[in-house]
Parts: sequence; C-alpha cells; structure tokens
Amino acid sequence: MSGILEAFRLYVQNLSYDGVLPETFQYAFVINSLICGLLIGPLLGWMGTMVVVKRMAFFSQAIGNAALTGVAIGIMLGEPYNAPYISMFGFCLLFGIGLKYTQHRTSMSLDTLIGVFLSVSLALGASLVLFVSARVNTHILESILFGSILTVNDTDINVLLAVSVICVVVGMPLFNRTLLASFNPGLAHARGLAVRRLDYTFVILITLLTVACVKIVGAVLVVALLLIPAASARNICSSLSGFVGWSVAFSSASCLLGIVVPMQYDLAIPSGGAIVLAAAVIFVITTIIRSTSGRFREAGV
Amino acid sequence: MAGPAISFSDVNLTLGGVRILRDVSFKIESGELACVIGPNGGGKTSLIRSLLGQMPHSGNVRYEGGGAVQLGYVPQFLESDRTLPLTVTNVMSVMVQRTPAFFGVKKKYLSLINAALDRTGFKGKRNRLFGGLSGGERQRVLFAQALMPEPNFLVLDEPTANMDEAGARRIEEVILELNALGTTVLWINHDLAQVKRVASKVVVVDGGVPYCGPPSEMPPQIAETRAGVVV
Repeated sequence: MSGILEAFRLYVQNLSYDGVLPETFQYAFVINSLICGLLIGPLLGWMGTMVVVKRMAFFSQAIGNAALTGVAIGIMLGEPYNAPYISMFGFCLLFGIGLKYTQHRTSMSLDTLIGVFLSVSLALGASLVLFVSARVNTHILESILFGSILTVNDTDINVLLAVSVICVVVGMPLFNRTLLASFNPGLAHARGLAVRRLDYTFVILITLLTVACVKIVGAVLVVALLLIPAASARNICSSLSGFVGWSVAFSSASCLLGIVVPMQYDLAIPSGGAIVLAAAVIFVITTIIRSTSGRFREAGV
Repeated sequence: MAGPAISFSDVNLTLGGVRILRDVSFKIESGELACVIGPNGGGKTSLIRSLLGQMPHSGNVRYEGGGAVQLGYVPQFLESDRTLPLTVTNVMSVMVQRTPAFFGVKKKYLSLINAALDRTGFKGKRNRLFGGLSGGERQRVLFAQALMPEPNFLVLDEPTANMDEAGARRIEEVILELNALGTTVLWINHDLAQVKRVASKVVVVDGGVPYCGPPSEMPPQIAETRAGVVV
C-alpha cells in the first residue's frame, strides 16, 4: 500500500512542479493530509447522518476520550507512542461494546450512560496518560484531543483506508435496517431484523471510525465532523437523499477548505481547528437559510 | 395463503417485579379475526410483544398450521425525531429495500409502496415529510408498511386510535379484505362497537384472560369490570 501512496504523492507533486496544482502540493505532508481529508470527509459526513438519527453524537466523544486510555495502555505495553493502534482499537472496542451492553442490561437512557462513560473515560485517560508521561512527550494528550492532520504518516493513512473500507462494506448494506431499528425496535424486530446485532455493529463501526480519525483530527474534532455537517444538511433538506448527500458534501468541503485555505493564505490556524471552523461557517449559512426561507418552515416541529 | 393459528399456553410475564400477564392461555384459529380488549395497563401490548418474541415471558406461544408466517405488524407509533428530513416514501423504502434509501427507491419497490399507500387512502402526500404528518396520517403510513409484503398474519396495536372516522373505516375495510382472504388478525381495539362489528373472537386481557370467545357472548359483568370498555 505504501508503494501506491508513494506513487500517488509523486504524481501530485509532479502536477505541482508542472504548474497544474499550487506550489503547496510539492510537500508530501500536504498530500498526505489531503488524502486523509478526502477519506474522512465523505465517511464522517455519511456516518454522521446515522449518528444524528440515532442520537449518538457524544458516543464518539466518549470513544475519543477512551482512546487516551488506549494510548496509555499501549505505551505501557511497549507499543510505539505515536501509533499505539492495537491498544487504542482494543480498548476502545471494549469500551464501546461495554457501553452498549450496559445500556441493554440496565435499560438506562443512552444519553445518561454516554455522559457517565464520557466523564469516566476522560478522567481515566488523562490520569493514565499523565502517569506514563515520564516516558513520552506529554503533548500526546493534546494530539489525541485535537489531532494533527499535517503529521500523518503512511501507517495512519493505511489504518484509515482499512477502516473506511470496513465502514462502507459493512455499513452501507445495513443503512436502511439501522435506520428502521432506531425508529421502532419492535417494528424492526417484527420485520425480521436482529436489532441488537445491528446496534452492536453500528457501535463497532463508529468506534473504528473514531479511533482511526483520532490521530488525524483529534477526539474533539471527530465529534464536530460527525455532527456539524449532518446538522447543516438537515437545515436545508427535505428528503433522505438530500440529507446524506449534503452532509457528505459539507463534510468533504470542510476538510478540504480547512487543509488548503490556511496553507494557501499563510494563516496561523491549525488544520483541525480550520476544518471545524469551515464546517461551522457552513452551519451558520444553512441555519440562516432555514430560518429565513419559507420553503423549510414546514420541516420544523 | 391461509394464516396461521396461534396458541398461548400458560404465558406469564413479570417486569420490574410487577406481574403483567398471569397464566394466559387461549387460541386464535387460522383465518380468524380476534380483537384484544382490556383496560389500560392490562397487558395487551405486552401480550403482543410476547407473541412477537420481544418480551422475556414463560410459557408457550406457538404458531400452528405448518405454513410460512408472513407477519404484518402495526405498532402504535414510530419514535423518529419529527424534524428529520425523511419523506413518507423514504420511510416506506427503508422498510422494504436493502439498497440504502438515500440512493432512491427502486422501481419495483416504488410500485409496491404506492400500492400499499393507495390501499390505505394515503394519496398525494408521498413526498411530504413524515414528521410533518398528523397522528392519523402517520398511522395510515404505519398500516401501509404492514401490507408490504402482503401478510397472512396481521398484528395491530390500536392502528386507528388517532384517525378520523373515514380513515378508520378505510383501514377496517382493508383488514376485513385481508381477513376474507384467510389472513389471521390479532387486533388491539378499544372501540367495542367496532369489535362487535368485525371480530369473530374477543380476547379480554386484564393481567389474565377472563374471557375469550364471540363478542356477542361476552358476559356483561366482564365487559363492565375487566374489559375497559363502556357497555
């Protein structure tokens, strides 16, 4: 896979040397960040619509916080501190499945449970990261929370690519069923769907996606990219196709703008922050459209 | 295709320490239209959810007759966020097709959806937002989904509770049409006049089952004290 990535980078760099693309694209790290942006944008935009429908926006925040603990465990187990993926995926999957299992066993409302797990995961993660900070750079806390899309390497891209493929191959055929199960689990069950299996599958997909994105955009910003584009799309759409299509478009545009604009105009803004700010600008515009256009008034309660 | 017979034997259900169903035993014959009546909290919906395998009950609920059961279930409501941008067609397509609904509805499913909606008298509003519909309109859509594919066993949880009279009559006609073709119907219904008009059997559920038989033979004291209806 690294060979393909290298060839792609060379191709883009040559286009830049030939003047087809801006000078910025002569740098490999810029191309890496764009590859990530092109993967993350559509994926988070699409999955975000499901997250909004299932009201699980802060689940990925809890998973992102759990990634801190995963990193700490990874460092203690001797994994490289800048890519402890085995521990991160392992711990976060256990965490996500544990949360869902607790919900099923206790019938407690999901937002309450997510709140509990979110707080615990942040406290545990921050404590453990500080505990192992003697061995590594303490800025790791910052990088997990806020990411660094400009420092991604081939391993990060490969992990993201693998997770993207899993999400599309598994998640796409389950889209309708997951939607139905969130509307009325009883009806979904009566129509022959394995509702709990669908629930767990969705939790696993969101966990994988969140962990794969944590290094790139950070735990805080994954939530923003899952939520803001879908919320923006919801502002101006009156059908499912529009909802998903615009969410993907807004998320992708936010990623590209957030990466390219600061570099192009020498703005001292971190890429992760710029991506979310771009998404926020789109949200403000769509909110103004919704609140002023009679066409969308019917869509309100 | 003839519908199944359903038998309940000694079904007990306890939730949170509260006994909801006590030794429930009765049988609905193949092709029968049975109405379930009873007071609020009497266990009607729990009985149906036990039948659907959604409640951890003891005892046996069995389908009899040997043939395949094509279940059509109409719940009381959908819990979706009313502000979601989902049209009626989106909601219906989610029920029947595997291709993600945001890619659009396949032709063969579109005709199925249109036929089901037409049958319930829901016309001209297919591109309206589902969340923007009135309670009665949403119940028509919920009923329409149970017709895809055509069921031979219909389970209805107060499907006309929020409907206007014309809508309720239309749904009743469709239920009777299906029943005439052999579909077994189990219908939670609070309208005693309608129950007497349509049902061949009435099942009174009030924790237990104090009466199961023809509506015309229901003892007045049971109707007054256990069925939750005004005679």
